[in-house]
Amino acid sequence: MRICTKCVLPETFPGVRFDDAGVCNVCRQAPTPQRLLEQRAKLRAEFEAAVEEVRGNNSYDCLMSWSGGKDSTYTLALLTQRYGLRVLAFTFDNGFVAEATFGNMRRTAEALDVDHVVVKPAFGLLRRIFVASLDDGLYPKRALGRASSICTSCMSLAKSSALRLAIEKEIPFVAFGWSPGQIPPTSAFYRTTPAMVRATMGASFRVLEEIAGDAVRPYFPEEVHFATGRFPYFASPLAFLEYDEEIILAEITKLGWRRPLDTDPNSSNCLLNTLGNAVHKEHHNLHPYAAELAALVREGRLTREEGLARLREPESAAVLRLVTERLGLAS
Amino acid sequence: MITHQAIKKQVRTFVFDNFIFDEETTLGDDDSFLENRIIDSTGVLELIMFVEETFGIEVADEEVIPENLDSLERLAEYVMRKVYLVAAA
Repeated sequence: MRICTKCVLPETFPGVRFDDAGVCNVCRQAPTPQRLLEQRAKLRAEFEAAVEEVRGNNSYDCLMSWSGGKDSTYTLALLTQRYGLRVLAFTFDNGFVAEATFGNMRRTAEALDVDHVVVKPAFGLLRRIFVASLDDGLYPKRALGRASSICTSCMSLAKSSALRLAIEKEIPFVAFGWSPGQIPPTSAFYRTTPAMVRATMGASFRVLEEIAGDAVRPYFPEEVHFATGRFPYFASPLAFLEYDEEIILAEITKLGWRRPLDTDPNSSNCLLNTLGNAVHKEHHNLHPYAAELAALVREGRLTREEGLARLREPESAAVLRLVTERLGLAS
Repeated sequence: MITHQAIKKQVRTFVFDNFIFDEETTLGDDDSFLENRIIDSTGVLELIMFVEETFGIEVADEEVIPENLDSLERLAEYVMRKVYLVAAA
């Protein structure tokens, strides 16, 4: 398979084109390091100004969407320790959170002294959604370049649940642990508005409603939420602050976080991810992490060889078996 | 001054290059990006950055509504209004 000679994007990535030197169009159009620095500095300044604006006005300053993985755990620590925010940690339990992750969350929430709520939808509902998400026609082609359909469905639910809770509790910030390669700078910090959420989350809602009907309503903002007009900022601080995996692991280890041994190498918290990756590779001949790893290579945070090696890592057969059995897919 | 048609042409190229990828797909001027599952919430923000950088306008939070952004026609109309406001200022 043809792969960009500069990053790790393969020819199966949606919209990719190569020049005579084998360099992809994403590399050719990527912002210069100077431009990236400027974008991030601007986002950081806007984020920190907003933090000062909202601090102390409500019971909580921030709701942290916390998967229990390394990046969101580090983000939670940054928000509480560096920025001194009163944070409500929020976990959407998709039924496939690794056992070791719950131990990590208990230890680090206690070390950081934060309140922590877990929302766990009925497993039957989750199973219907995840099984239906094996069909790739649910989401825009562009979304398939960022994540598997299963992950996109799960993230839709987690994100909209976090937003709903933030509106109910009048929390002015919702934070996520997305790292630099996972989201474009445009999505790293912005204020949500009712109209924008109605349009974008409405589209996600309709996809999931087609699968599971009214059962998905409790996980999305409803009219009563839109009527408040109080919509929070969405922030992914790791996308514009410093990001160094070694520092992240060292810092969260001090808080009691341990790398789970019951997930496969591509995730530090979720088992379902393994099935999403396997199915995506089978359907599209494309690893759903290719875009993220390509971005890290482009920025020099990872060597091309390291990126390629990560893309070649096979899924854990044991995790795959466990997930397919729980979803009722095992033959 | 840039024309409505020229704006629409540039936006169409951007949408095809970044979200549709397939020359054979048809996209009518009034077709909704969201309803037709062409663009999602992340895509909306990328589209906003594109029009800000390409046409030198600033999209305010309260202007991020489907009436302004959710089809080629609506977007071209919106950008035209903003470009004229910038020019008149």
